Amino acid sequence: MDWFFANASFVAGLALTHLSIVIVPIVLGSILAIVGARLVRARWVPGVTAVLSAVYAIPSLALFVALPALIGTPFVGPTNVVIALTVYAVASMFFSARDAFSQVPSSTKTTATALGMSRFQLFVHVELPMAIPGLISGLRVVSATTVSMAAIGAVVGVRNLGYLFLDGFQRRIPEEIVTGLVAVFVIAIAFDGGLWLLGRALTPWRARGGERV
Amino acid sequence: MFSISDLAAWFADPVNWDGRYGLWFLLLEHVAITLAALLIATIVALPLGLAIGHTGRGEFLVIGLGSISRAVPTMGLLFALVLLWGVQLRDVSLLVALAAIAIPPLLAGTFAGVTTIPWGIRDSAKAQGMTGFQRVRYVEFPLATSSMIGGMRIAFIQVVSTVVLAPLVGLGGLGFGIVQGLALRNYSQVVASSLVIIVITIVGSQLLGWLQRRTDDRL
Amino acid sequence: MKLSRITALAVSITALVGLAGCATSEAPPTDPSIETIVIGSQAYYSNEIIAETYAQILEDSGYPVERKFSLGQRDVYIPALEAGEIDLIPEYTGNLLQFFDPAATETAADEVYTALGLALPEGLTAFTMSSATDQDSYNVTKEFADANSLVSIEDLAKVTGLTLGGAPELAERPYGPSGLLSVYGVTVEFQATGETTVDSLVAGIVDMANVYSADPRIEQLGLVTLSDPRGLFLASNVVPVASGVVSDYVAYLIDKVSAAMTAEDLVAMNVRSVDEKLSASVIAREWLLSKGLVK
Repeated sequence: MDWFFANASFVAGLALTHLSIVIVPIVLGSILAIVGARLVRARWVPGVTAVLSAVYAIPSLALFVALPALIGTPFVGPTNVVIALTVYAVASMFFSARDAFSQVPSSTKTTATALGMSRFQLFVHVELPMAIPGLISGLRVVSATTVSMAAIGAVVGVRNLGYLFLDGFQRRIPEEIVTGLVAVFVIAIAFDGGLWLLGRALTPWRARGGERV
Repeated sequence: MFSISDLAAWFADPVNWDGRYGLWFLLLEHVAITLAALLIATIVALPLGLAIGHTGRGEFLVIGLGSISRAVPTMGLLFALVLLWGVQLRDVSLLVALAAIAIPPLLAGTFAGVTTIPWGIRDSAKAQGMTGFQRVRYVEFPLATSSMIGGMRIAFIQVVSTVVLAPLVGLGGLGFGIVQGLALRNYSQVVASSLVIIVITIVGSQLLGWLQRRTDDRL
Repeated sequence: MKLSRITALAVSITALVGLAGCATSEAPPTDPSIETIVIGSQAYYSNEIIAETYAQILEDSGYPVERKFSLGQRDVYIPALEAGEIDLIPEYTGNLLQFFDPAATETAADEVYTALGLALPEGLTAFTMSSATDQDSYNVTKEFADANSLVSIEDLAKVTGLTLGGAPELAERPYGPSGLLSVYGVTVEFQATGETTVDSLVAGIVDMANVYSADPRIEQLGLVTLSDPRGLFLASNVVPVASGVVSDYVAYLIDKVSAAMTAEDLVAMNVRSVDEKLSASVIAREWLLSKGLVK
C-alpha cells in the first residue's frame, strides 16, 4: 500500500489517460457497429462476417505497431491504439448488434410499416428500442474488453495503466502490478455498471417484469 | 518498410520454418498452449456449469464471473502470477491466466445449455425415476453439448490471440515471432506470425462451429 | 548542420571545462528563444531516470518540458525522433549504433561514439557521451562460475551444453549465439527468457544470461559478469540524442548532466528505483541536487 500512496497522483494520471484512450473506441466503435449491422444487406453478411472474424483474430500487439506502417499514423502517441481498439470494438459489437436486431419480431416490424412508418422511423422508434437489451449486453462485453485490452498498449509505448504491469515487473514491485489490476478492474466495472443502468433507464417497460442480467 | 514480396520471401525461406524458434515449432507450441489452457478451463467449467444448471443455484456466479473476467487484463494477471509463484512455474502461471479468460464463456455455455432444455424433457426424465446423476449424465449433458461447444468457440478465439503474451515471461508460441520481429524491425516476421495466428483462429473456430451444428440436432 | 552542432558542442565543452575550473569565469551560452522541449524515454526504468535528469535540469532553467516517457523500443521511438515528435531522448552508444548499422565492428567506447556520429541519419545529433555505461553483458551465477572456474567469456569454451537466456531478439544479434561461436568458439543453445531473464538465470533455467551492466540485481544477487577480452559487445555509454535544431544552451545543460553522471551513479540510481521503489522524478531530483546541478 505504501507504493500506492506514494504514487497515487501518478496512478490517477495513468487512469485518466487510460480512460481517454478507451472512450473513443467504445463509443465510436459501437455506433459504427450498430449502424453497420442494420445497414449491411443480407447477401453481404457472410462476407462481412468473414472479414470481421479475421480482423478480430489479429493479435493486438501486432496491429498496434503495424498501423503507422499501414496507414501513416504518428509512431508515438495513443492514436494507433485508439484506432486498433475501435476496429476490435466494431468487430465484436457487429455480431451482438445483428443478434439484437434479429430478436425483434418481424410481425412487429410489419405492423409498424403498415402504420406508415418510414424505414428510418422504424429503426429509431421500433427496432432500436426493442433491441436495447441485446445491444446493452453487447456493449458491456465491448467496454470491458476494450478497457483491459488497452493495457497491452503499454508494450508499444502508450503510457496507460498497462505501464504499471511492465514497470512493476521490471522493478519487482508487486504492489505496482496489483494497483494496475485493481485500477483497470474498477474502470471496467464502472463502465459495466453505467451501461447496466443505461439499459434500465432506456427500457423502463422491462424493469417491472423483474428482468435480470 | 513492409511489402508483400518481402512477406512472400520470408515464408519461402526454410530458415524461418526450422529449429526451436522456427515457424513449425512455434505453431505447434502455440496450439499446445491453447489446448492445454482450454483443457484446464473445461475441467473447471464443465462440472461447475452442469451443477449450476442442474440445481439452478449459483446463477449469479455465471453472470458475475463473465463480467469480472473480461475486466481483468491478462498481461497484469500473468505478471502478478509469475512474481508470486516464481519463474520456475511460469508455464503454470500462463495456463492459469489463459484459463481465467476461457472459463467464463465455457461456464456460460454449459449453464445456458442445461437451462434451455425444455422443462418437459427434464421433468419426464425425473418421472421415469432417473437419479440426479443419471439425469445429468444421460439427459442434460448430451443436450447441453452444442451450447457448450459454442462457449468453447468463444474461449478458443480469445485464448489463441492472448497466447501472444507468452514471450514476455520467457515462453514460446507465435508471439515470439511478433515480439522478436518488433525488436529487430523485421515486419515481415511480425505480419507472417500474425497471419498464422489468424489462420489458426479461423480454422479452429470453423471446426468448433461445425461441431456445434453437428451436435445441435440432438434435441 | 551536423558540423555546426559539433562546433556548438566544442563551445559547450569548453564552457564546461572552464566552469569546472572556475565556477563563474565564463558566462554560459544564453538562449533567446525558449521553446517547449519534448523529452522521450524507453520503457526501461533506468532510462526514464536519465530522461528525468534532462527534464529537470531544463525545467530548472525555465524551459517548458513535455515528457513522453516509456515509449517502448527503438523501432517505436526512433521514427518518432526522426519525425520530430520527440526532441531529446537518452540513448546508449553501442546499441544505437547497432540499430542503424547492424554490421558495425567497433567495440571500444570512443570508436563506437565516432561511428555512431557517422551512422546517425540526417537530422539526428548525438551529444557528448557520458562515462556512465549500461551495456549488454553475459552473466552467470556465482556457483556456476566457481564450479567451472569462469572469469571471462573465453573460459566458456570448455563448458558443454550451455544454455543462454535473453530477450527474443538476442537470437539474431551479432553478439548473440552466432557471435559467441565465431569470436570465442563457444556453443550455446539459446532460450528466449523475455522479461524473466535474471530470474531464469538464478532459478537455473539457463546457465548464462544477457543482463544490462547497470542492472542492480547483478550486485544484489552476486552474479558474475564475464569479461569480454575480445570485444564481442559494443561499449554502450549513455548518450543524449536530439532531433533537429536544439539550442546551444539546451546542449550546454544536457552536457553538464552527461559529464556529471558516472557509471556508479547510474547503478546507484537504479538500486534506489528497485530497492526503495522511488519514482524516477524523485531519484533524478536528488541526484541533480547532490551534484549541485539544480537548486
